[in-house]
Amino acid sequence: MEKFAPVKRSEDGQPVRYLIVDDSVFARKNLARMVETFGGQVIGEAGDGVSAISEYDRLMPDIVLMDITMPQMEGIEAAEKIVRDHPSARIVMVSSVGYQENIVAALQRGARHFVQKPVKPEVLYEVIKYVMRDDGTTTRGAGAGA
Amino acid sequence: MTELRQLFFESAGELVQKLNDEAMQLEKSPGDAETARSLRRTVHTLKGDSAACGFRELSELCHEFEDVLTLENTAAAASVPEIALRAADVFAALLEAYRKGTKLPSIQSLRADIARLAHPASSGAVNAKKKKKKAAEKTSRWSEYEQLAITQAVAKGKHVHHVVVQIDPQCAMPIAGRQMIQLALAGLGEVLALYPAEGSLDPMKRVEAALVSEKPAEQIRAKCSIPTIALNVRVTPLRAEAPSHPLPPPASAADSEVKDEAASPVAAEVTAGISANDAASTGEPAAAPAVPSGPDNVLRVDAERIDSVLNLVGELILAKSMLQQTLLEFGQRFPKDVLRGKFSDVMAFQGRVLNDLQHSVMKIRMVPVDQLFRRFPRIVRDVGLQCGKEVELMVRGGQTDLDKSILDAIAEPLTHMVRNAVGHGIETAEERVRAGKRPQGTLRLGAYHQGNQVVIEVSDDGRGIDPEKVRQRALSQGLLKAEQAARLTETETLDLILQPGFSTAEEITELSGRGVGLDVVQSVMGRLKGTVQIETARGRGTTFRLRLPLTLAIIRALMFRVEQRLYALPLNAVAEIARTFEEDIHQVEHYDVLQLRNDVLPLLRLGSKPPRGPETARRKVFVLVINSGDRKFGVIVDGLEGEGELVIKALDDQSITTDLVSGASILGDGRVVLILNMIALMDRFTRGRADASGPRMAGLLSSVVPVASSIESSEMRARGTAGGQA
Repeated sequence: MEKFAPVKRSEDGQPVRYLIVDDSVFARKNLARMVETFGGQVIGEAGDGVSAISEYDRLMPDIVLMDITMPQMEGIEAAEKIVRDHPSARIVMVSSVGYQENIVAALQRGARHFVQKPVKPEVLYEVIKYVMRDDGTTTRGAGAGA
Repeated sequence: MTELRQLFFESAGELVQKLNDEAMQLEKSPGDAETARSLRRTVHTLKGDSAACGFRELSELCHEFEDVLTLENTAAAASVPEIALRAADVFAALLEAYRKGTKLPSIQSLRADIARLAHPASSGAVNAKKKKKKAAEKTSRWSEYEQLAITQAVAKGKHVHHVVVQIDPQCAMPIAGRQMIQLALAGLGEVLALYPAEGSLDPMKRVEAALVSEKPAEQIRAKCSIPTIALNVRVTPLRAEAPSHPLPPPASAADSEVKDEAASPVAAEVTAGISANDAASTGEPAAAPAVPSGPDNVLRVDAERIDSVLNLVGELILAKSMLQQTLLEFGQRFPKDVLRGKFSDVMAFQGRVLNDLQHSVMKIRMVPVDQLFRRFPRIVRDVGLQCGKEVELMVRGGQTDLDKSILDAIAEPLTHMVRNAVGHGIETAEERVRAGKRPQGTLRLGAYHQGNQVVIEVSDDGRGIDPEKVRQRALSQGLLKAEQAARLTETETLDLILQPGFSTAEEITELSGRGVGLDVVQSVMGRLKGTVQIETARGRGTTFRLRLPLTLAIIRALMFRVEQRLYALPLNAVAEIARTFEEDIHQVEHYDVLQLRNDVLPLLRLGSKPPRGPETARRKVFVLVINSGDRKFGVIVDGLEGEGELVIKALDDQSITTDLVSGASILGDGRVVLILNMIALMDRFTRGRADASGPRMAGLLSSVVPVASSIESSEMRARGTAGGQA
């Protein structure tokens, strides 16, 4: 696996803190290993939408990697709820190609970006960098209604 | 897809018309940079549209033409207007061929003209340039609404950016990718236009947008450069020239265009035609009529869809009268029931809503007459040139609304009348000068509303029509006999020119004659339930006045009975109703007359004549006084049934064996009403008199009765028992 320059939080230079949401343990581990190569720190994991919301409230991570299809509550709904309570939440949807419409829906509800399964590290890296970029337009809101 | 195609043909037709207008404008004021620019924009738009629809020949031709028009000196080149007119013809022919799928017309001669315009010596450079431009260009396609928003924003001096984002070919989810770009754009400012539109499932890997934003282009670029999605981002200011559709004009031009559109209200006299004043340069309403798509939010809908809504409204009105009939029966059976009052309240309310609905739907079908009038400057110019006459065309009331189907139907007759007026009505310059008139003739086209009708006038200041000549001609052509001729009034004589086979012109010109007479006017007007009126003054000119109903679908009519059958006439044709007895109807020279106040009113008997006798003498009859133009006559009917709004059912050709009936309608109780054709009635009346066969017209309507019966039986079948008795 190639080496990535660590992505840090721009405000304090600390490692980026991740919450990984996926119903497959394997997928969670895979993603966790990947973000660690970017210098990230996985502070929590969730296997469904409901616990994703409570984990977000408890941990306040910098980034959520969110699967679309999950038991109990789907990723879109969880993303929507999180963004409603925390407009600055950075949620990256993770899904396979067949769920393009769900991705569009999630983006409309406030998700920041998406990656396609199987996740390629270099793609995820670019996405993380983009999402963490602090260019004064972090708070969105324009998107949600569009 | 077919919808898009239709939209293309519609807007392309408008563009060709615009090209015509602009070419003529340029002809009048050669060297006018604004007109030249506008003409080029028109060609550019047509190019873009036709390319988007895959009509290669047209788009290439437009492209070549547009290229040539970029040259600084085009405005000065004398041949540009002429070539533009030729181009308009060729474009129109190409469009026609595309539409019908027929063989494309030859474009070589236009191509040569264009090439000659570019480089009097060689034409090779055109192609080289074309290739260069093609590579740089990407046509985009905003909707009309979006385009309008852009034009307005640019005109207001806003910073409008044209953003094109190429999506990474590696991106497997382009729709989601486009969504992200759209969100990024929305975060930057106001998105005026977006292609593909939001929610589009097109897997297109390219986004194009018009964005209003105060942010610098570099920041827009950065914000849209989303990793893993955007491959490259291009941000260019949308100002004067941009690769969009149609080109938003430069701010100043946009201002003046908006002004022009606003400055042509209903009453404004718009001058257009050969040697008209250069209206544009003096700041008066421009000669080139405004594009029909006004500044509002315009929606294009297939006319058929509106028709089907209108049909349903018709059915509703029918249902209403059925309900009314039922209520009536209910009232008779339970006169004291409280429900009766409730019923009629609800029905009154329903009736009001229905009325509003009907009018709203009918309004949708209305289009400004200008859509038709816009053709005429070119026609007047061409016919004028061909006959060597100078004619100025004045158009008034172009904003008057008329039902689209009526407008389509009168296009041909009106064209014919205009050609006729220029070709025959207006004299040559020398002849005019000899008569003490201005050498230049004037043709006026006007439209206005009058009551429930639209009046369209074509009037010239030419030599007028000599009734005596018409009479002679009709005699020599065998259209009438000498004894009939002597009896005709002046109006009746003039009407002869509307008869099939009549032609006053000494020579048949290529443009005006065309082997068709003015009878096409008469027959179309008959079909539309309209009337034609001719007014003429020798040496001063002629006016043709067409009166048309606002719509064909529903009429207010007076219903009456003749021999137990129901008939109707349009209410506005009936001037008054007189009540009389058979014994008061007198015979004068073989036809029936009635003394009505101080007038003697000639009568037309629809039924058969009752046998003489004391019983008959005291029989009550009604006389409907029909006023049409300057002709007045009475129609004898047995009884009146009342007035009402009739929803006209189209009759197929097989069921109509007579021209006396123009349509049929069904009442709430299932009875069929036949709507009589005024023109045909009048025609019978005139002919009847001329033939002196008045008294033998008995049973005029006997040929009509089978029509009613067949409609009744087919309606009964269609509606089951709902129609009731009958």
